[in-house]
Amino acid sequence: MLTGTEGIVLKTQKYGDADLIVTYLTSDRGIINAFAKSPRKTRSRFGSSLEPLTHARISLWGKEQSLPRITQADIINSFRQIRDNFQDFINASKLVEMLISLIPEGIPNKRLFAFFLNILNFIKSSGQETKEALHLIAQIRLLTAIGYAPRLKGCGKCGTRSLDFYPDSGTTLCGKCASLPLAKGKPFIRINNKVIHFYTHSIEWPINISNRLKPNPETLTELSGLLDKHLTYLLSKKLRSSEFLAATTRPRPRPF
Amino acid sequence: MSGSLVENLINELSRLPGIGRKTAQRLSFFIIGMPGEEAISMANAIIKIKEKARFCKNCFNITEDEVCSICRDPGRDRSKICVVEEPSNLIVIENARIFRGLYHVLLGSLSPIDGITPERLKINELTKRVKEDNVSEVIIATNPNTKGETTAQYISQLLKPLGVKITRIAYGLPIGGDIEFADEVTISKALEGRNEM
Repeated sequence: MLTGTEGIVLKTQKYGDADLIVTYLTSDRGIINAFAKSPRKTRSRFGSSLEPLTHARISLWGKEQSLPRITQADIINSFRQIRDNFQDFINASKLVEMLISLIPEGIPNKRLFAFFLNILNFIKSSGQETKEALHLIAQIRLLTAIGYAPRLKGCGKCGTRSLDFYPDSGTTLCGKCASLPLAKGKPFIRINNKVIHFYTHSIEWPINISNRLKPNPETLTELSGLLDKHLTYLLSKKLRSSEFLAATTRPRPRPF
Repeated sequence: MSGSLVENLINELSRLPGIGRKTAQRLSFFIIGMPGEEAISMANAIIKIKEKARFCKNCFNITEDEVCSICRDPGRDRSKICVVEEPSNLIVIENARIFRGLYHVLLGSLSPIDGITPERLKINELTKRVKEDNVSEVIIATNPNTKGETTAQYISQLLKPLGVKITRIAYGLPIGGDIEFADEVTISKALEGRNEM
């Protein structure tokens, strides 16, 4: 059966000599895998339409339950500006990895599709000076949209003001609640008000005005570390793209 | 007995990329029908390559010796290094007979989502060569896809402070193809990289 949908390429995996298995976030089927015949050949009719982050109108042949074959992919927005920028692409890869790791396949979510598309458009059109904050805002908003965002505004149990974030609980806990058997003795991260302020505004402000948020570098580092610990707890492993980001932004040896 | 031998050969051949069970079966019967010495010569070629093939200590191309024939060739321009992802890419460029410099094989490409970090490729070895071997130009010939482009950008950022000229192979339309079938990204890249005539 031939069906059509819109999809954003999340990742591709080599298969056989010149074939690919493409993972899409689609508008009406959620995350799906599809098979593309020979896109790696230089004269392939797919061209660049199967490159990661490409938003395309796709035609699929085959049953939804099995691996459908991509018969056509027409680019709507290539998002090549994101791929062409090293930092943007790694940070976008982090968002993609979060989606693939936290969202089960085959569950339609039109709002999530529109939301992810909106984030990609926002990254594409933003200036370099606000990029670092923007990538963090994108992560926070994506986690919020899929229901995995940590709670930093008050104790997660009683609502009392608190600055101690417990990754095991996914929330800040006040001293009293932290002494209860489930949280007692568990590791926590002490955060400051600037982190909470930035985090709250990242969620509450419309994304198109979030570039007005001007966090200092310490706030960004602190919140980024907190999110990484939160994700590591959720997934029981570190995000590969986080490790990649750390490996490629490490200070390099000085030239001779 | 003979059934299990044939079955075993089919199983082994179907492990090769692009070879399904049916093709493996066809190849198996072709091998059975081959003259004995030809089949043995083929088997020996596989044994020998597994015993003797290794990576060149300079460029990581596949070779039988410590240093590959390209690195040993005195007629090569040692000031230029062409960086490729895999030894198979090197063969294609070599077959074009236009590049007379040296190569550097990375043995893969960077991929954040797959956790392929620079430490897992031969990037540090490339930096060392550029620093020590008086290299004036590094031509990055990684694949024209996202992973290849990410790798190219990383290498470019890494080597630029060393004062070496860094170039990237051109993007564009394949020869023999029609513009009407090209996608917007390929066309944009082709226009951006246009040459004066």
